Amino acid sequence: MQKQITEANLRLLIDSLLLKGQRVVGPRQSGSMVLYEPLASASDLVTDELPRRSIKEAFFPVCEDLLEYRKEGQQIELKDIDPARFPETVLIGVRPCDAAAVPVLDAVFSWDYKDQFFLARRAKTTIIGLVCTTADDACFCTAVGLSPNDPKGSDLLLTPLVGGGFLVESQSEKGEAFLATWQDRFSEPDGTQTQALATPALQPFDLKKIKAWLDDHFEDPAWDSIAVRCVGCGACAFVCPACHCFDIVDEGSEKAGKRRKFWDACGFSKFTNHASGHNPRDLQPKRYRNRIMHKFKYYDDKFGQTLCTGCGRCIRVCPVGIDIAGVLEEIQEK
Amino acid sequence: MTQTIDISSYSTITDAIRSEARRILSDSTVSAVIGYTAGRRKGSTQPIVITTADDADQLIFTAACLNDLVVYLTKAKKDVPKSGRIGIVVKGCDLKALVGLLGESQLKRENLYLIGIPCSGVLGSLLKPSAELTTETIASKCCECSDQLPVGCDFVPTVTPAPLPDLEKRYANEIARLEAMTPSERWEFWKEQFSKCIKCYACRQVCPFCFCEQCLCDRNRPQMVEQTPRPSGNTAWHLVRAMHLAGRCAGCAECERVCPMDIPLNLLNRKMAKELKELFNSEAGFEVRDTGPLTSYREDDDQSFIR
Repeated sequence: MQKQITEANLRLLIDSLLLKGQRVVGPRQSGSMVLYEPLASASDLVTDELPRRSIKEAFFPVCEDLLEYRKEGQQIELKDIDPARFPETVLIGVRPCDAAAVPVLDAVFSWDYKDQFFLARRAKTTIIGLVCTTADDACFCTAVGLSPNDPKGSDLLLTPLVGGGFLVESQSEKGEAFLATWQDRFSEPDGTQTQALATPALQPFDLKKIKAWLDDHFEDPAWDSIAVRCVGCGACAFVCPACHCFDIVDEGSEKAGKRRKFWDACGFSKFTNHASGHNPRDLQPKRYRNRIMHKFKYYDDKFGQTLCTGCGRCIRVCPVGIDIAGVLEEIQEK
Repeated sequence: MTQTIDISSYSTITDAIRSEARRILSDSTVSAVIGYTAGRRKGSTQPIVITTADDADQLIFTAACLNDLVVYLTKAKKDVPKSGRIGIVVKGCDLKALVGLLGESQLKRENLYLIGIPCSGVLGSLLKPSAELTTETIASKCCECSDQLPVGCDFVPTVTPAPLPDLEKRYANEIARLEAMTPSERWEFWKEQFSKCIKCYACRQVCPFCFCEQCLCDRNRPQMVEQTPRPSGNTAWHLVRAMHLAGRCAGCAECERVCPMDIPLNLLNRKMAKELKELFNSEAGFEVRDTGPLTSYREDDDQSFIR
């Protein structure tokens, strides 16, 4: 279904949602950064900047409690976290490179084990995507098979119109239901032209060719030359909308504490450290190789998709200037 | 008013680095040279390790050469070849870190060939690597730099850096602002800053002085510091980091530059440096010292802080 909404009505819609007690999360200024955070009012919404961190944390927070324990004498009390307490949420202003990562995460969090924490939040969330009209030189969605107006992952997709306002397209039942609930705020499309799309500079990669090379170059001197500079932090993985590794730890005392799930990264030296002390990925190039392999080979082998949406965040934050798009170009030319 | 900073010498410096790297690689003075090379995006750079004279032309020096390459010499970076003598490109701030590591017996001077940069300043951030170097975009560390010309290197291009225009002393001003706060206001400031931390450890990984093979904060049997990115664990991590660097940090400010969450980490380091200067008249420099201010004991040490 196609509808149209003015800028003013979109803001009114957000305020109406908030007034109803609905949780609305969108890009907002948070100190020196723009982050996806709960909006306190429609005026908080920022629509001209890609948030520093991705939307994955709406379903997969930086850190969350899994259970609580308490021990008194021989009595042990365990308290589960009830996923029913996760609030209904509307995510608004989500960039296509972020929204597209959500189905990618769905696949992995509902594969052999159903992650109730991820899936419960996911079921209670409506995603309103926002088409990009500007890109910087780190953006490369078009190079990995997506586009600045890709509807993947969005329940509703907003496309900025020339002269203001947005074209609204529903992409799912959730989107249809949302349009029906708030129909007063929308109008029929009047044929106003949509704004020109952003144009990331990179040409599409031949992802099949890249995967074919990865398929038989687990050992290759290129990994050393590419990754010798990697210092082994988790910045790339943490800002990535698709990276989803986590660790689980019990924190507290012998008497009481919590079991917590928190982001982990394959760049960390301890990531594959065995209890025996042996570490199969003992050097940084082996860890960086895993990052590329996971994104462009292993995930594809398993789920038939690429674990990268070209948002460019890892390129922007890498302390040592590692540019994943440059790495892919290098592999493609082999 | 924003003023452009004169970096016209950087092309001469690039040429000089290339010819020196070519020379020391072809006559086998060194087995490798660690320097900077251009990245894919306009203006971007990345560290590079070259091992043949033919690759010398890949080296560059621009205002986007921010990295403190000294981190690659530490034992934390096992992947970088340590055999034979290694050439490395250093700015004044980087050299002070290297000198600190020499003092801590982490490096041997005879195993290094130092290519010093007469530096006119670098950008504060690489979010826009093609940005022009101005009084606005220049790194905060450069605004308070008195070490534009490194001392004690094996090779320094014969270029005199243009004197920097008058720059606002951003760290000194911000520290003065924080010092004027009440302890509870200051605690609120840092609580908010640390709450942003996502424990990516970029600050640790780029730090030349964070060379511990087993970081206390990674331990889980037993857990010494809460690992999760939550207020208590974050605060503990940043205090451990600041204290472990006190009297050692040379001020390259890489921790702050690479923080993806914009935590002003170098403020902690600068505050420590200020205390060290006031208490022990000690500061990072170009002269190798066997002991640091906090690793030596003197009868006349100021003890007035013990109350």
